Amino acid sequence: MSKLTSETIALHKRMQARQKLNRTFAYVTAILIALWILIPIFFIFSMAFTTQETVRSYPKNFLPFIPFSTETMQFFLNSAGIVPGVINSLIVAILTLVISTLIAAPAGYAISRYIFPGRNFFRLSILAVRAFPIVVLSIPLAVLFIRVGMFDSIYSLALMHTALALPTTILVIGSVFASVPYELEEAAQVFGCTPFQAFRHVVLPLVLPGIAASAVFTFVLSWNEVFAASILTVQNRTLPAQVLFALSQSSEAYQFAGGFFMLIPALIFMWFIRKYLFNMWGQVSK
Amino acid sequence: MKKRNWTPYWLILPTLIYLALFFAYPMVRGLILSVWDDEASLRLQSTASITSDAAGDLPQGTQIRLLDRQGNLLSDEVADAANLLTEQWFLATGVDVEGNNIEGWVSENRLRIREEAEDGTPIMGTIRRKLGSTADPLTDIHESASSVSPVIAKVEARTELFVQEVATLEVWFQIEGENETGETLTGWVPSRFIQVYGDEESGRIDRANQGAFTLEFFEKMVNDRFFWPAVRTTLLLMLFIIPAQFVLATVMALVIQARLRFNSIFLYIFSIPLGVSDLAVGILFFSIFTQNGLLNSVLQGLGLITQAQPYLTADTRHWILIAIWLAELWRATSIVMVIVVSGLQAISDEVLEAAELFGASFWQRLWHVILPLLKPSLQVALILRTILAVQVFAVVIALSGGDIVTVLANETFRQYFEFRNGNVASAYAVFILALSMLSAVFYLRAVRTQQELS
Repeated sequence: MSKLTSETIALHKRMQARQKLNRTFAYVTAILIALWILIPIFFIFSMAFTTQETVRSYPKNFLPFIPFSTETMQFFLNSAGIVPGVINSLIVAILTLVISTLIAAPAGYAISRYIFPGRNFFRLSILAVRAFPIVVLSIPLAVLFIRVGMFDSIYSLALMHTALALPTTILVIGSVFASVPYELEEAAQVFGCTPFQAFRHVVLPLVLPGIAASAVFTFVLSWNEVFAASILTVQNRTLPAQVLFALSQSSEAYQFAGGFFMLIPALIFMWFIRKYLFNMWGQVSK
Repeated sequence: MKKRNWTPYWLILPTLIYLALFFAYPMVRGLILSVWDDEASLRLQSTASITSDAAGDLPQGTQIRLLDRQGNLLSDEVADAANLLTEQWFLATGVDVEGNNIEGWVSENRLRIREEAEDGTPIMGTIRRKLGSTADPLTDIHESASSVSPVIAKVEARTELFVQEVATLEVWFQIEGENETGETLTGWVPSRFIQVYGDEESGRIDRANQGAFTLEFFEKMVNDRFFWPAVRTTLLLMLFIIPAQFVLATVMALVIQARLRFNSIFLYIFSIPLGVSDLAVGILFFSIFTQNGLLNSVLQGLGLITQAQPYLTADTRHWILIAIWLAELWRATSIVMVIVVSGLQAISDEVLEAAELFGASFWQRLWHVILPLLKPSLQVALILRTILAVQVFAVVIALSGGDIVTVLANETFRQYFEFRNGNVASAYAVFILALSMLSAVFYLRAVRTQQELS
């Protein structure tokens, strides 16, 4: 009996020691990976906020990069086509967000609340759409838009981005609705709410944060999209398309500042939607 | 019988309509564009009318002889077509050779305009004299604006006619040419499809109106000098990026699942790349690998090199590939991580605890418990990643300018934008689609066999 206890204690101790080692190892790994992600961002941040002379200098000082200055960023923002590009990008991203949320919300509600013939087929086709490459869709859409006189318009680009974002948005919104039990809606109806009131006062407040997260993700997707934007616009370029076309003739100061400027939304929005990521992509992968 | 509930169908209807319009339809159009030549051949008509019987088709580019010409009323939609030849006919009033007052149509070839209104509208003209002694000295006046319409009167040369109305006609040619089988065909075609040579007796078919199935665009694609380098680089990148990504993503996911202190901050940092565009990532790694960038600065600071090394040049192609590899690893590992974490969360703690209780080491648990249970998530992530890896684009442009190292998406872009060739660009797009499907299948099989072996 006592032998068994001492053996158990020894085993327990060994396991604890191992766990401690594992945890230390996990911390070291976590910090190394975090550095791998953060160092390039920090470097380009310091290049975007310094003097143009520092950008050209070599070898560059080690951290922190001094002098701090807004010169490079100002140079970028004052370059031809950047301000209109930013405005275009914002319009396209917001339009994409609004259209795709409006179309996806009912569909997401349908796949989470109703069992109907064709439901699985619908889900599968949505997944199939998600799996098609953007490159394949852009060329025929461009040809089509030229034919109907909608080429080189930020509105047609928003339509294209919506087609890209729609599948993910539907699945994410579906998973958000699925996380609110239907019993809540039923209970509200038992207490005298109409179905619409039950939806408006019980379900909506609960799903709004999740839908907002998916909308933010749609915004980022549209803001980042380069290929379709470069194919579908000529005069009315979005920011990434503008930077892409200027890339070969521009100075490093322009490139670095532009690179950092484009990743600002990611830095801000990822903080707000990080908790929902698994909700989103977990659902998509099921 | 229970009444069917139509509500869900109404709810998904907008999505279906939208995807049909902006996804399915363009997709089908794209497939057609890559194998369908809109202007393969020109249809010859048996008479100078679009409604007449077809007299055969001649391929685009055929050398032809012009036999005859005739005017036909011009429709507005072709009024600005290139190569278009027109002639004007006038509805005129005057006195004919017999002294009667007449009203009829005469061609601009026969009537010289003498007087014009301020805006250029012809008012009055005289009939031209016919040259040559054998020619009929009288000019025909037609019932309508066409040389084949009935003659209603004849007028003498120099007769004054007053113009009431002007009609613009498109010239049609009767042409003769040989088709692919060497057969000589004769028929009428509108001038807008023909390029007429200086001698006005011969020409070639410049545009065409009959589509045909063709593999010409795929041939052009394969024979393009950038095609094989693009295929090679794309496959090479895929082969090296995806396995590395899965290892790194699994490590990241295990770290997140270990629920360390500051887990939320680690999660934030790990997921930042998910929201960064490929162009920005390309620039990010350009700033590291450029000659006076971070890498050289660090190496020089450590005293490992004495002067800046060039990395992103034509002579150091392997460095460009390494930079692209790192950039893609940086950018797209996050999404795999998120999918793997979702998969890990679905594995019940009891299973892991049981394995631990039975004394399985961390590696044993990972290899024999966690990874097999993760298989479905890994498969989804694989499909997604393969598709994304095949269309890698802006990263390559940012790091190599798109010439030294090229990829398939870049060639699609080049065909469309520089060469204005939507058909060949579509062929590239179809090739990318096929490649991503094939490689997804390949990777899925590879994952399966590996698991079955272990």
